Amino acid sequence: MDIILNLFVTLLTFLYRVFANDMVLAIAVFTVIVRLVTYPLTISQQRSTRAMQQLQPEIKRLQEKYKGDREKLSQEQMQLYREYGINPLGGCLPLLIQFPIFIALYSAINMALAATPTQMLDTAGRLLIPGFDNVIPLNNRWLGMDLTLPPDLTAIGTSIESLLPVILIGLVGLTTYIQFKVTMPKPQPNADGKPDQAQAMSQSMGTIMPIMYTFFALQFSVGLSIYFIVSNIIGILQYRLMANRTPEPLKVPASGAVVVDGKAKSGTSVKSSAKPAPKATKAK
Amino acid sequence: MEGAVLKVSRLRPASWSIKKSRFWAVATVAILLIFALTACVGAPTEPNWAELSVLDGNLFVAFSHNLVMLEPNDGSFVNLYNEQGNLRTADNGDPLTWNVSVSGQNMRFYTDPLVTSENTLLALSYDRKLFEIEIDAARLQDSAGRDIAGHTVANAVVDGTRMYVPLTEKDLIAYDVETLDVLWRFETERGVWASPLLVDGILYVASMDHSLYAVNAETGALIWERALEGALAATPTLYNDHLYVGSFARRIYQISLDGEVVQNYATNEWVWSSPVIVDDTLYTADLGGWVYALDLSDGQMRELWKRQAATRAIRPSPLVTQDHVVVGSRDHFVYWLDRATGETVVRHEVPAEILAELLLLEPSETINIAEPLVIVATQARDNLVFAFPADGNSQPSWKFPR
Repeated sequence: MDIILNLFVTLLTFLYRVFANDMVLAIAVFTVIVRLVTYPLTISQQRSTRAMQQLQPEIKRLQEKYKGDREKLSQEQMQLYREYGINPLGGCLPLLIQFPIFIALYSAINMALAATPTQMLDTAGRLLIPGFDNVIPLNNRWLGMDLTLPPDLTAIGTSIESLLPVILIGLVGLTTYIQFKVTMPKPQPNADGKPDQAQAMSQSMGTIMPIMYTFFALQFSVGLSIYFIVSNIIGILQYRLMANRTPEPLKVPASGAVVVDGKAKSGTSVKSSAKPAPKATKAK
Repeated sequence: MEGAVLKVSRLRPASWSIKKSRFWAVATVAILLIFALTACVGAPTEPNWAELSVLDGNLFVAFSHNLVMLEPNDGSFVNLYNEQGNLRTADNGDPLTWNVSVSGQNMRFYTDPLVTSENTLLALSYDRKLFEIEIDAARLQDSAGRDIAGHTVANAVVDGTRMYVPLTEKDLIAYDVETLDVLWRFETERGVWASPLLVDGILYVASMDHSLYAVNAETGALIWERALEGALAATPTLYNDHLYVGSFARRIYQISLDGEVVQNYATNEWVWSSPVIVDDTLYTADLGGWVYALDLSDGQMRELWKRQAATRAIRPSPLVTQDHVVVGSRDHFVYWLDRATGETVVRHEVPAEILAELLLLEPSETINIAEPLVIVATQARDNLVFAFPADGNSQPSWKFPR
């Protein structure tokens, strides 16, 4: 953990120097860098999401076939997802991946912006480039807010400056909500009209996650909230850009391996659509 | 997942809202995740460390929300006596002790008290308050305290009727000791985390904005400013008409009284402690655990020795005794180094980090102890103060709380 923290503190300090001692700009650019580094994960997740959308006809076929037998339907759906390498909770993945990053970033921001002597002691020895010592201490104020402290809601008034903490927290929740809505496919009902369980679970997370991030914004530093907002905006833009690309149709090559967006998923076999008829059951 | 679905369909009544139960399952996971992540980032810590001083022959300790006075020979609380010299007791018969606490108001003390009259102490709280305390009764005159302009983590300095208070955010303020009126305010770019040095009516102020200032103590007017590399977090030391100050630029500077940099010495890590100068030798330490001895006999800083005594930061200034240089570190050890060579002679472990300045108590008419003691304060409230024999050759004589 120390290695990651030292890297984050050094990078934040470097960006602070580059951007003329502007810590907010440094955090924003740092966020862009983090999103670029995690971009492959994001791409993989979005491919899974789009593949799930493309599988909808197959899912509907299963729903027709196993109408009335929800247990069997669930088993067959999960089997289908496994064969195609799809994670039905994939829309949550980018948000969950960021958790360890913002834990490290929370510590790094507090260390880099040390506001008290004990915080400053934790900063000593973390700058991987000795020449950066001359930048310490970094300026921790922005628009009247302390970047190392949670937003102060006790001084809310009518002025714009006093409302900034509320605006900041609101933006965290709003951008989280929008990112989730953009990245998750719309839920398709089953043949019996009831919502698909896996998709419904994902939609539930879409309600929980914005609330959770808003709670984080209330508890954690203003600097971390800036990270959340910038990260969510970049996520929204990423998904919109990818959504504008026409997805390649799912292919089933002769080998039997499944192809998703041009990449073969090895080790899986395609189930024949001609399945044996289910055993007759006693009429109730 | 499949087993869970099976369980739901078998055990739950058909009328159970699966959507609702799923929602609450997700919500529960999210709440648990919030608590887990909150634990991962750690609990808030004290912003500063304890302060040790001597008052009327007793050991005075300021830490967190407590101000206590201890008997130096055994670390027990100092008892309170009435005017007739009788021990004062509480209603239940327990002796009353010198122990001022303001925990109900969430105040914290990290600085030495200031004696402003025969029976009055001024105590500056980190949380922007100043308290007047009756020494005889160990009682706050006004539990609400009086407002000051900012947080303070460094000792204030009193000069007759004026009190100079360094503020953590920025600036140095001069107050009238009696009325607490602001006499003047000297502006800095960043915080002042060190006590100013007052010499012949001039305040030498080391600031986190990388500058050392000379300020007229009466008017607050700037005499000179010397911009150095790196933040300055410790009080400069005056010796033979030169100022010596360590900085976060991994340097110790030798500066003339008119503000010119004469020489600098490179250290391995940030220097936070004030240099200590004994017998023409400057001793200091850095946040990498290194201890340095520099010879000043010819007016220049010449290295005598340097040792990495500790595995972690040494924040407080070294304590110099007849034979040893004593340092306390964040690695939970107190080290006794040979003054001539810097070799570690002995070390003792304590339960927590050492960040506070060490204190040397020597027997005298007012200090009733049998042998010299090195007093060490740690960051642990339940193992706050340790008293070691000055030569370090045995375990602590006492500890507080007992």
